[in-house]
Amino acid sequence: MKRKFLCALLCAAMTATMLTGCGEKKDDDASQDETNQEASNESNESSESNATEGESSGGGSELTVWCWDPAFNIYAMETAGEIYQKDNPDFKVNVIETPWDDVQSKLTTAATSGSYDTLPDIILMQDNAFQKNVISYPEAFVELTDDIDYSNFGKAKTAYSVIDGKNYGVPFDNGAVIACYRTDILEEAGFKLEDFTDITWSDYLEKGKKVLEKTGKPLLSCQAGESDVIMMMLQSCGASLFNEEGKPSMVGNDALKKVMETYAELVKAGVLVEVNDWDQYISTLTTETVAGTINGCWIMASIQTAEDQSGKWGITNMPKLEGVDNATNYSNNGGSSWAITSNCKNVDLAKDFLSKTFAGSVELYETILPKSGALATYLPAGDSDVYAEPSKFYGGDAVFSKITEFAGKIPSNNTGVYYYEARDAVATAMQNIVGGSKVDDELKEAQNTIEFNMEQ
Amino acid sequence: MSQTKSQKRKMSLEKKHNLTGWAFLTPATLMIAVMSFWPMVQAFILSFQTGTANKLKFDGFSNYTRMFKDSVFMQSLGNTFLYLIIQVPIMLILALILASMLNNKNLRCKGLFRTAIFLPCATSLVSYAIIFRSLFGVDGFINSVLIKLGILHTGYNFLGHATSAKIIIIIALVWRWTGYNMVFYLSGLQNIEYSVYEAAKIDGASPMQTFFKITVPLLKPTILLTAVMSTNGTLQLFDESLNLTRGGPSNATITMSHYIYNQSFKYVPKFGYASAMSFLIFILVAILAFIQMKVGDKRD
Amino acid sequence: MTKTKRANALMYVVLIIVSVISVFPLYWMVISATNKSVDVSRGTMLPGTAFLDNFKSLFQLQPVQSAMINSFKYAIILTVCALVICSLAGYGFEIYHDKGKDMVMSILLLAMMVPFVATMIPLFRMFSSAKLLDSTIAVIFPTISTPFLIMMFRQSARSFPHDIIEAARIDGLNEIQIFFRMFIPTMRSTYAAAMTITFMNAWNNYLWPKVIIQSDANITMPMLVANLTEGYVTDYGVLMLAVLLCSLPTVIIFFLLQKSFAEGITGAVK
Repeated sequence: MKRKFLCALLCAAMTATMLTGCGEKKDDDASQDETNQEASNESNESSESNATEGESSGGGSELTVWCWDPAFNIYAMETAGEIYQKDNPDFKVNVIETPWDDVQSKLTTAATSGSYDTLPDIILMQDNAFQKNVISYPEAFVELTDDIDYSNFGKAKTAYSVIDGKNYGVPFDNGAVIACYRTDILEEAGFKLEDFTDITWSDYLEKGKKVLEKTGKPLLSCQAGESDVIMMMLQSCGASLFNEEGKPSMVGNDALKKVMETYAELVKAGVLVEVNDWDQYISTLTTETVAGTINGCWIMASIQTAEDQSGKWGITNMPKLEGVDNATNYSNNGGSSWAITSNCKNVDLAKDFLSKTFAGSVELYETILPKSGALATYLPAGDSDVYAEPSKFYGGDAVFSKITEFAGKIPSNNTGVYYYEARDAVATAMQNIVGGSKVDDELKEAQNTIEFNMEQ
Repeated sequence: MSQTKSQKRKMSLEKKHNLTGWAFLTPATLMIAVMSFWPMVQAFILSFQTGTANKLKFDGFSNYTRMFKDSVFMQSLGNTFLYLIIQVPIMLILALILASMLNNKNLRCKGLFRTAIFLPCATSLVSYAIIFRSLFGVDGFINSVLIKLGILHTGYNFLGHATSAKIIIIIALVWRWTGYNMVFYLSGLQNIEYSVYEAAKIDGASPMQTFFKITVPLLKPTILLTAVMSTNGTLQLFDESLNLTRGGPSNATITMSHYIYNQSFKYVPKFGYASAMSFLIFILVAILAFIQMKVGDKRD
Repeated sequence: MTKTKRANALMYVVLIIVSVISVFPLYWMVISATNKSVDVSRGTMLPGTAFLDNFKSLFQLQPVQSAMINSFKYAIILTVCALVICSLAGYGFEIYHDKGKDMVMSILLLAMMVPFVATMIPLFRMFSSAKLLDSTIAVIFPTISTPFLIMMFRQSARSFPHDIIEAARIDGLNEIQIFFRMFIPTMRSTYAAAMTITFMNAWNNYLWPKVIIQSDANITMPMLVANLTEGYVTDYGVLMLAVLLCSLPTVIIFFLLQKSFAEGITGAVK
């Protein structure tokens, strides 16, 4: 039976492909036509909804969007579409779910091969990658400086998408850093949430040691080889890995040195435990291996998957660095902004759509918050009643307005074009320092790596 | 007279066969030419250029000299060769042993064993990366076993130390690809008459002798195939480095292809440089494959 | 006698150990697919009760059906085309081998030695200027003819007895008939192995489809799995269910075909 099936399949294949095979041998043009025809049949087959981007944006009232999280930004985009539809009945958004990694590789591929026409009208871009992409491919994006009212957004947030004084992005989700603690575990060690509010890192270390001693639980966990914690600490005092001219500034960067020393001390004391991957990091939270975490406010969604821990968590601001100028208790990690591509055939529509929804509709943010936890960076939304709702999971605290308040106080930093290179270099340095190397040597090494990457 | 005639006929027949031979390989060759060689030529041209997107300009050999000054790339080169030298032989030998075990006529449940051993390469990378990371985690399964056995006192962070992380990558590779290579050996073994084995048995040959005197020599073409493929696969290794260790700790496990990927998509794109590094891989694989073919590809 | 018995027992022990190690991740995947995300990240090893919920939310969140159909479509078309084209070539290279053809073979082998990242941009440019993005052609064309498959068929054609060809020629079969009527049936085990491997590679292909596919309607299973790992929260139960669905077809194909390549009808050669 199986044998027959195999033979039949092969025979069918033979006949089918001998044709294409022969066509190819005869002459190239013929086969080219053939393939073109097949391709057009193909695209006809696969329904109108995926008519190519060029056509869809030519239609005038439809915008194609690349973004990636159905529970979060896709939902937000679709809701925005519905709100805009009320005044523009013909309007439609066509969201194509594309993970961030894929957005980046498609953008790079399209730009490098000069095929900008493969891009959609709007893409969602990680804030950290904004500078890199706009500077590398300036002709891929549309400037929005005069079309959006940027006074309604936090300064630090807007800064991510400003290049040479021009705005290229509409800020979307909030990456304001929060410190989350298991209040029940803190209590065991004799602490309250207030004892961890507006503190410094040395307070944190001392209190963390006590918590560890009494409960056996570290205060913080993070991924080894990723520099999230380092970058959060660094931005909390408004410092960056690059100076204003975009040159790497790791050597002689007092803030960075202090950050690295603090991090190493935390690890040494066992207050900060490093795990090897994201899923392990999440599991330290859900399995109660640690007493808290510090991350962008989007981490709440993952914390909340442990429903049995409801009421046991509390949220406050992060510790600040001591002895560093401009140090604050606020920082940012993650977040993204919308960008309009140069392939958009109806730029006016796209601008109008974004300015009336993501940059102009409190209703939008009120609608998406309860269902998705999508916290706005649009400041007027913070005053809304929906944001003042107490959250049962976090002990009845009005966490959303609290976080929106944090967001307004974040110092801005300069990601620079070579942000990802620098992040990796700093992470490498940090791993070596934890392994026993000297901070100064490693910073020098990291700076050399970046300078090497930047020459050319 | 008749002799020359038949010779002539033979000549023309040979010529005809020769042409038929070319006809057989034309479709495949043409497709490879268009889908691989043409892009390769373009990538080669690109490897002499620097800059991004449409701001490319020719810059001589600077990309090629650059990579030898690039300490991360040099480290990735070392890592990749370490994997190649240790992992490929272990994997191929293991696959050969398993295949000849499973070729045993009297073995029961062969289908189950075969499918089980093949499973790792069919299992999606996502799950296997998660599993390996959790197995070797500080409070993972391996550590708790070692602690129970009294070998360790506290959990060891296998993925956090350079040497152990490399070893884990090698274990993961062997685990994942042994079954894959076994498939080729199993199918190659079908071309060996079972009677050969029976004759050997009657002659009193031990299983060891049969393995080395019969199985290995007769499987030589297949072994060559898998050796060339594994060399190629290992030098282009990417998935394990990216998903298991993300190249860490401190680039101790990063592979060349992973670094090339970073330079193309994660960092500020340098496709010229990425192409140049790709061509170094090309040259290395080509040399190794050439040696392997010279050693192993003799028709008897 | 006892000696062979002991050797046999040892063999079973080895095989069982290897099998358990190999099967474990699949077991874990199945278990995880029945658990809630939080239990998966807590490292549970026992079956849970969330399978239906995971199933529902997976199908609600993602176009599983169309991704499955697409993946099957791409993988089957690719496998069939690849087997035909490459086995023809492999046969040609070995049976009619001469210096020239051996040379061509070595050159073809070079085609697989450049990392795909390098050739991807020129390929993309090619398909984009031919207006073929987002088409089946674009997904499968670059990997139809691979040096690897050609070499595999060439290596196994080495054991194909030349007597058969001679006999068939005397019987009046032409060359292409010999290939179809003699070579293919005899080499069934090679075809089955090649089919398994090619199907698997086609099914798991990720980097190329993700840049070439532009619309939700055309995505493949690996792309769907990638969709689930993005975003701020990963639901591990749902993810593992998707991963399971993504792994099963290859496993099933292997299971169905393994007899054909591992227990080929010895005797057909004679």
